[in-house]
Amino acid sequence: MLYINCPHCGLRSQNEFAYGGDATVKRPELNKEISDQEWDNFVYLRKSPRGKHLELWHHISGCRQWIKVERDTSTHEIFKTYKANEAIE
Amino acid sequence: MSQDFRLDNVGMVNREKKISFKFNGKKYFGFEGDTIASALIANGVHLVGRSFKYHRPRGFFGVGVDEPYAILQLDRNNERDPNIRATEQEIFEGLEVKSVNCWPSVNFDIGAINNFLKMFFPAGFYYKTFMWPPSFWYKIYEPFIRMAAGFGEASIKHDKERYEHKYEYCDLLITGSGPSGLASAYAAAKNGARVILAEDKPRFGGSLLTSDVNIGNQTGVEWTEKIIAELKSMPNVTVKNRSQVFGYYDHNMLVMSERISDHLPKTQKYLPKQRLWYIRANEVLISSGSIERPLVFGNNDTPGVMLSSAAKEYMKVYGVLVGKKPLIFTNNDSGYETAIEFKKNGVNPIILDTRSNPSSDIITEAKNLNIEIRFSYVVVAAKGYKKVKSADIAKISDNKKELFNIENIECDCICVSGFWTPSIHLASQSGNKSKFNEKIDAFVPDKSKQKENTIGSANGIFTLEETIKDAFDKGFDVSNKITEKNNKVSAPTVVEKKSTDHDKFWCVPLPKGKSYKRFLDFQNDVAVSDIELALREGFRSIEHVKRYTTLGMATDQGKTSNLNGLQLVSDIENKVVPQVGHTTFRPPYTPVSIGAIVGREVGKHSKPTRKSPMHSWHEKNNAVFVDAGVWLRPRYYKQGNEGLFEASKREAKNVRQNVGVCDVTTLGKIDVKGPDAAEFLNRVYTNAWLKLPVGKARYGVMLREDGIVMDDGTTTRISENHYHMTTTTAQAANVLSHLEYYLQLVWPELNVNVVSTTEQWAGAAIAGPNSRKLLMKLFPNLDVSNEGLPFMGYKEADLFGVPAKIYRISFSGELAYEINVESDNGYFMWEKIMEVGKEFQIQPYGTEALSTLRIEMGHVAGSELDGRTIPYDASLEGLVSKKKDFIGKRSLNRSAFTSTDREKLVGVVPIDKTTSIPEGSYIVKDPKAKLPNPKLGHVSASCWSVEYDNPFSLAIIKDGKNMIGQKLFAMSPLKNKTIPVEIVSSHYVDPEGKRVRS
Amino acid sequence: MQKYSVFSLIKNAFSDHQNWEVAWKDPTPKKEYDVIIIGGGGHGLATAYYLAKEHNITNVAIIEKGWIGGGNVGRNTTIIRSNYMHDENGLFSEFGMDLWRKMSQDLNYNVMFSPRGIINLAHSDAQMNAYSRRGNSMRLNGIDAVLLNREEVQKLIPMADFSDNVRFPIFGGLMQPSAGTARHDAVAWGYARQADSMGVDIIQNCEVTGFDVSNGKILGVRTSKGDIKAKKVGLCVAGSTNILAEMLNMTLPIETHLLQACVSEPIKPLLDHVVTFGAGHFYCSQSDKGEMVMGGDLDGYNSYSQRGNLPTLQHVLTEGIAMFPFLSKLKMLRTWGGIMDMSMDGSPIIDKTHINGLYLNCGWCYGGFKATPASGWTFAHTIAQDRVHDLNAGYSLNRFSTGNLIDEKGLGTKTWIS
Repeated sequence: MLYINCPHCGLRSQNEFAYGGDATVKRPELNKEISDQEWDNFVYLRKSPRGKHLELWHHISGCRQWIKVERDTSTHEIFKTYKANEAIE
Repeated sequence: MSQDFRLDNVGMVNREKKISFKFNGKKYFGFEGDTIASALIANGVHLVGRSFKYHRPRGFFGVGVDEPYAILQLDRNNERDPNIRATEQEIFEGLEVKSVNCWPSVNFDIGAINNFLKMFFPAGFYYKTFMWPPSFWYKIYEPFIRMAAGFGEASIKHDKERYEHKYEYCDLLITGSGPSGLASAYAAAKNGARVILAEDKPRFGGSLLTSDVNIGNQTGVEWTEKIIAELKSMPNVTVKNRSQVFGYYDHNMLVMSERISDHLPKTQKYLPKQRLWYIRANEVLISSGSIERPLVFGNNDTPGVMLSSAAKEYMKVYGVLVGKKPLIFTNNDSGYETAIEFKKNGVNPIILDTRSNPSSDIITEAKNLNIEIRFSYVVVAAKGYKKVKSADIAKISDNKKELFNIENIECDCICVSGFWTPSIHLASQSGNKSKFNEKIDAFVPDKSKQKENTIGSANGIFTLEETIKDAFDKGFDVSNKITEKNNKVSAPTVVEKKSTDHDKFWCVPLPKGKSYKRFLDFQNDVAVSDIELALREGFRSIEHVKRYTTLGMATDQGKTSNLNGLQLVSDIENKVVPQVGHTTFRPPYTPVSIGAIVGREVGKHSKPTRKSPMHSWHEKNNAVFVDAGVWLRPRYYKQGNEGLFEASKREAKNVRQNVGVCDVTTLGKIDVKGPDAAEFLNRVYTNAWLKLPVGKARYGVMLREDGIVMDDGTTTRISENHYHMTTTTAQAANVLSHLEYYLQLVWPELNVNVVSTTEQWAGAAIAGPNSRKLLMKLFPNLDVSNEGLPFMGYKEADLFGVPAKIYRISFSGELAYEINVESDNGYFMWEKIMEVGKEFQIQPYGTEALSTLRIEMGHVAGSELDGRTIPYDASLEGLVSKKKDFIGKRSLNRSAFTSTDREKLVGVVPIDKTTSIPEGSYIVKDPKAKLPNPKLGHVSASCWSVEYDNPFSLAIIKDGKNMIGQKLFAMSPLKNKTIPVEIVSSHYVDPEGKRVRS
Repeated sequence: MQKYSVFSLIKNAFSDHQNWEVAWKDPTPKKEYDVIIIGGGGHGLATAYYLAKEHNITNVAIIEKGWIGGGNVGRNTTIIRSNYMHDENGLFSEFGMDLWRKMSQDLNYNVMFSPRGIINLAHSDAQMNAYSRRGNSMRLNGIDAVLLNREEVQKLIPMADFSDNVRFPIFGGLMQPSAGTARHDAVAWGYARQADSMGVDIIQNCEVTGFDVSNGKILGVRTSKGDIKAKKVGLCVAGSTNILAEMLNMTLPIETHLLQACVSEPIKPLLDHVVTFGAGHFYCSQSDKGEMVMGGDLDGYNSYSQRGNLPTLQHVLTEGIAMFPFLSKLKMLRTWGGIMDMSMDGSPIIDKTHINGLYLNCGWCYGGFKATPASGWTFAHTIAQDRVHDLNAGYSLNRFSTGNLIDEKGLGTKTWIS
């Protein structure tokens, strides 16, 4: 069971969180002209590397903040966690 | 009481307390502290089961968790436990067990015919036959094979036992209370660490219970008792017996199952049967010890052949002799300890040692005790069917290939020792890649992956002196990292007999002309010849060998067979063991009861049940409930002999004619607050929100980014910067997360906060032509005229002293209002509505009538918005703004979404106006067309229209709007129905929407 | 090739089983092949077999990083079914059902296909309606389906929870009587043995390290055993698809997730069908060995680790006991995990790619095992003819641009929610 360091609450068990997937996906700005391809990539393409993965978790049974977690997808080691809008190192 | 094999005054069972139990219907006695195995052996019983494949007789092979044979079925407290291990289950008064996998009895088992046909049943034989004729596999062969396989018979009765979960944190978890576990626990506890020491067996001490050693001038047993007593007295230490740490999961989470009541005749009140501990440990010391390896020879599965360490433990712990004419067959010094123990108890063993000329303290001691020892000797084959009667033994050449002087000697048990295999399972589970240690011919843990260290024989350390010293050091080191107290206690002095190297030889060759089965996996009947066959057929990866032969896949999970299997593969393939590799260990270390894993979340508690504040009113008024997610909602209120159909029709009709009231508390409610709330809603919903005035509500649809409708509902502007959003019952949680996602991650610049208020409000919808009259009486001081409170209007008022919110919104299509009060006042509100509404013929209505009302009106709900529909499909195009951008808008341009023949919402009426169309039917042009019959679309919802008194359905069909007026067919092959239908508008009742505005 | 039968078994018994031939050889790779299939799992092996059998293309190599059948074909819960609502899935899977029915005889290898029927339990009228929609679609597609009421379900599986102390009572269920199970390893081995006998090279312990692509055309693959040229290359590596795609500079609408399964200790025959729970995600059948085979939700976060976590299993088994209370008394014997290609609409991709001669077979989510023969058959067709077959036309890569999605569950792109 993962032990996730919520930047707002501290170390909490995985059960308190909901997963949110690839955290590097960036939503195109509203009202901006973009190509079909750019839009489809935003909707459907995800990074899914073996190794370091920056991903979203939602502390639903805690502070209800979305946080970013840098985790290794093959060892599950968590390197660092970030607040939603914190700069990623 | 005569127990022929019980020793006087030896062992740790409580001789004061005699316990009677039944095995296969026959009564036996044992003592408190016996396992079923020790008690049966004391009574001279060795035949307890039959093997999986050949149904060969099975006795006892080990003394604990590694036992491959002795699987029994237990009846305890009128409950049946199908597969328990006789070597682990302690006896209690009245215990009843019986043998499994044999018929009619363990003594005479028809299935043993397999044993005579075994030449036709090599590894994987079933892949090569049973193919003809094709239909026979499922009808004949498979049922036969299924019947022959399996162990115990499970009862389908509900388990009445209770299982608990416990969450615990500690500095240091130590898994096993042998010498290394005790020593490290003591060192760490003295250094101030919070320690949990877990022992699988009832007794602490591990190998100290059976070895002849001296620690700090005490025997192993005395030292154990002293340490345990001291640990138990320390507040920072938890000591648990009968507790198996079976899984090492991520981030140092380990799970332990504690058997609390299994050894008692009955679970005591307020105690569970078992307790599952989730332990988050800062550090872990794995002290799970090692398991003796078998030696392999002909018929080595005969009852009476067992591990030499097991024989010793039966003597020293239980005071039981496994035989009176023992043959000890060993490739190392461990067998000598067993022989010496026999000798001390007046039994004369014979030792066969595969080594040619070993010398050590312990061999000298055996010689001095005049024990007969034959060097360079092996057991060729055990003789005897249901019990060892004798053994063919032989001298073996130095190259271990030739056998000489084969002779038969009488014996009643053969105790084997093929050296020791460290139990690295937990380390492996933690992610530790193991490494092969040539010196001990076994794998040991490599570099730590998580915060774990392995100590003692689990780490391949087989001398007590080194074990104790290392464990004291490790206990101090890991605890000091945490406590930094630097309180180091010194290790005691250790006296033990020195032993010498083991022989790498472990598998006796077959004598010429003999084809004895030499077993590796005792439960699954995997023999040396099976592995040879697998390799011959090209199954060369160890995983292929394992899967093809089923080696190591039995309920003992290969604890005694895996390594010998690897050795054999490496011998045949001419590789070294590490090249062959080994299969990865996964939890659980030993089988764990599913009840314990699940804990208390069973029966009604398997998921929470949510009820509205008015629930008890509904109950009192004969509501029949329906599950709506985890909520319970009234489906209809039964009057007299009514069924669902009559009741819901009556309720719906009453709404259309008078007034009805419906509990809508379950709808999701979210407060949206902040100066940018309007802008936020404008981005979230497909329609425009910037100009909604205070005191007005609006219906909105929100999409996912892929353009699919996510949810719908009304949102009301309560004040300048405060909106009250409602969601469907099912999507409430998802919508909140969705909003939080956009506010926190995508548009953090928006100054908006959202919070769920679902629990804060109780809601009642009053609907029908009389609803305004009712409202006037409920809120006499409020202007509820069409001008004062117009459609989509909102007012706050006082309901007999209780603050209330009134939304003029309608799902039923009638003139309707929704009243919200704080949850605590919900029941009061409901009673008042019913009381005041009496004169207007008010009736409560449930979800079924609600459904009828919305279907007639063509309002969409979950069955239309099923995660596949876009707004156009559900006739919601009017709500899609062309002017502004919103979540998911860009996706709506995709070709499949704009295609003209896309499925769209329509109404469907049966031509005969009487036959109801089952929900889930499909609309087709030609009901007799060849299959696959092209579908135009499906019927999403059906009702009996109370307005027109005939069936009416909603359907989503291709090119929907252009199909109106067409005569087609609704087909439900499942219900054998083909119904001629006419496609009509989905707005079946009041298409202009006059009523809601009246 | 030796023929397997009861007669050959008896004959070999008298020579002490010394004369059985290898099931497949262990060749060194040639310099060049007409087709290279990457991935020696069920789908890859089946593809090679059908290339040889249906299209007479035998200069084929299967390249496998580990040992054949070591991926998801050996890590699933062995369920075979075609109970899909969407036409694309239903027709594709039903084509596969025909191949399953004939497979043991076709491969001369007993894959133990056992059409014992699958029952999807429903716990509300709404769910009965949803299952009716699915079942009617199946029937109109020529797939067998039966709607069962509560009593009919009770007759078939009396061990399900029909008591009063139940959270989600059983209303009925949808049954596909012709669905069932098969012996998963045997499927891989059976295809491998036949493919090998027709000339396909099965190359194990050979890892692909790169691709040789020039002017938009595939020329070959680089492997741990050297470079191998190929006219055509097919990717069949569910679970590792994203790793190989990265080598090709492709990003796919696929996330990689872990799915766990577990078995209980073996018990005497009790459950004769495959049963799925309707108020959660749990499925269960009993293997011929007697173990209850159980599975459910994903672990729920991207993973390439075959190590699973206990909370997921606890959740799955909680639903298990809710469906079958008797499971409480059994013991969990073994757990394992498999790495899934979770696609963004829950359906697979079998298609050509923008690279000439490179073909893609991926995105199987939970449903890979049952699809093994149909996937191999259609992928072989797609590779051999350089065009998709009608059966896999819906499984195109561009459906994520056109919007022709095949979303059985209606859950969209949140692949980890199941």
